[in-house]
Amino acid sequence: MANTMLEVKELSTKYITRFREDVYAVDRVSLAVKEGRSLGIAGESGCGKSTLALSLMGYYFPPLHYTSGEIIINGKNISGMKPDDVRKSILGREIAYIPQAAMNALNPTRKIIHFIEDVIMEHEVYATKKDIYERAKKLFETLGLPAEVLQKYPVELSGGMKQRTVIAISVLLLPKVLIADEPSSALDVTSQKMVIKMLRHLMEAGMISSMIFITHELPLLYNVVDDIMVMYAGQIVETGASREMVFDPIHPYSKGLMGSIIVPEQGLRDVKLTAIPGVPPNLKKPPAGCRFAERCRFVRPECLVTNVSLRQAGDGRAYRCILPEAELREAYAREEHKK
Amino acid sequence: MKGYLRYFLNKLGWFAITFVFAFLLNFILPRLMPGDPVAAIVARFAQGMSNSTGVQAIYEQYVELFGTNKPMWEQFVIYLQNVAKGDFGFSFSQYPRTVADVLKASLWWTIALQFPAIIVGWLIGNTLGALAAYLKGGFDKVLMPLSIFVSNFPPFGMAVIFMVVFGVNLKWFPTSGGYGFDLIPSFSWQFIQSVIIHYQMPFWSIVIIAIGGQAIGMRSMAIYELNADYVKYSRFMGIKDSKIVGYVFRNAMLPQITGLALSIGTMVGGALVAEIVFSYPGLGTTLLRAVLGQDYPLISASTLIITVMVLFANFIIEILYGFIDPRIKAVQAD
Repeated sequence: MANTMLEVKELSTKYITRFREDVYAVDRVSLAVKEGRSLGIAGESGCGKSTLALSLMGYYFPPLHYTSGEIIINGKNISGMKPDDVRKSILGREIAYIPQAAMNALNPTRKIIHFIEDVIMEHEVYATKKDIYERAKKLFETLGLPAEVLQKYPVELSGGMKQRTVIAISVLLLPKVLIADEPSSALDVTSQKMVIKMLRHLMEAGMISSMIFITHELPLLYNVVDDIMVMYAGQIVETGASREMVFDPIHPYSKGLMGSIIVPEQGLRDVKLTAIPGVPPNLKKPPAGCRFAERCRFVRPECLVTNVSLRQAGDGRAYRCILPEAELREAYAREEHKK
Repeated sequence: MKGYLRYFLNKLGWFAITFVFAFLLNFILPRLMPGDPVAAIVARFAQGMSNSTGVQAIYEQYVELFGTNKPMWEQFVIYLQNVAKGDFGFSFSQYPRTVADVLKASLWWTIALQFPAIIVGWLIGNTLGALAAYLKGGFDKVLMPLSIFVSNFPPFGMAVIFMVVFGVNLKWFPTSGGYGFDLIPSFSWQFIQSVIIHYQMPFWSIVIIAIGGQAIGMRSMAIYELNADYVKYSRFMGIKDSKIVGYVFRNAMLPQITGLALSIGTMVGGALVAEIVFSYPGLGTTLLRAVLGQDYPLISASTLIITVMVLFANFIIEILYGFIDPRIKAVQAD
């Protein structure tokens, strides 16, 4: 039985705006990632994917604030730890992060190697510059990056190279969990492929033990991760193995999400492109009932008042809807028939 | 490196062209002023003389001496030859002093006043602006309106306020001059003390204005940098805040260095006015007197010195910039 690398229990976080309003961006999210597994998180812009990624790091700075819940990384509960202890012993070592805009993630006036020195010296007091250079060089070469990159400033690197450099820096300390927040969305297709290849290589070579991959590009997820979680308005609405999630979604939102994307994959190509009408709810005042109710084709009066929890649907799947799985499937079949 | 060198040679070329045009304008513009400066000098010397032939003779002698009877282009050639030898000629208004002599006496006063004032203002302003961005809250709320208020004061306005408050009402500092007018410049303790006391008001009136402007610029740059993606990433890689603050301030400083070059430029403009208000024996006062006396050689030489100073400061900043910001260097080498 593989160890659980990351376990999150009922984690809630919020943003506090300049006008002292609370925005409940992540609402009671629970998840678990086992050793050697990867989890994809999908959802439209503003659904809380990136905020969830930031929240998982367990290190909060304004405007993001922790509300409740637990984060357990490799058996260590980091929720009660002092921020400075989290910074020293958890960040980079146990859990690492690849930012959404990796293009701008490097200090423009610092050479790559100097930044690497800063990172390692923060965690290993006795590390010498020479050792750090050797280590970095070895890592970069393993990952197929030329060692000359180390002596360069970020401005001297291409976009794809910058992205891969950031990934390499993120895994310097061999973290147990790697969170990649849309690491490839700003790149061209070739660079995207290289980034994905690199992430897979990291898993296979055992440099990282597990990965969370966040994206709005579902077809990408399907190729990269083992499991997929779909988020809507700060909550998980459905979770399951990636193949089933892409080809056979249960929740009306997941269904709509799959239908609203142009997919070149076999078998999905025939799905008609449809948009989900309406906009997500305002998270300053989240609705009392189902958060998707306002946009749902199958909405019932009780949806608007009942707080819906995740329900299990066999083989490790779960979805957040008051309708039973069979009823939803029947409705999808009817729609299909009508077309 | 080759591209980098080419960039600087190119830049140097442009500075040379700028210098040539500035030199030409420095020569021509004062001479386009209406009026005859020689007549004014002669009137001064010939006071009480009733012999018109004698006055005429003196006039012609001076015209010959200053060369104002020759055509403008010929004057220019002579001027050029003399300047190349470091000779700026006689000052019309302070004849028989030479321009070099007049400038030597005033230039150091200006440099000693303005340069430290600009640097001190720049340092304090940037530190305050950076602190406002980092600390936010009350500090920021007080500093910002104050900076905006102060930075919008014209230098002479600030000078007048200082003079009224600290000179006239509180009588803490003397209101004019670079040293007590009963003293002769020397390295005596009494003289140095007098210089320091006279230094305070012109100095701080320039510093305060510089602080305001720099603080505003630094604050917004630092806020922008503090929200940059690299700050977030560095934090998540476990780098401590004090180090990140170091990154941020270094990067936010870069545009401020351009600001510094510009303030050295304004040393010429606004701040010279403060010198005049305090009758400080610097370039500003000299320039004012030169303009009033239609003293072409002195005006030309003063403005030439100012031009050279501005060009030089800009060139130095340009070189420095490439060394401290790799992004600029990359563009320069392109």
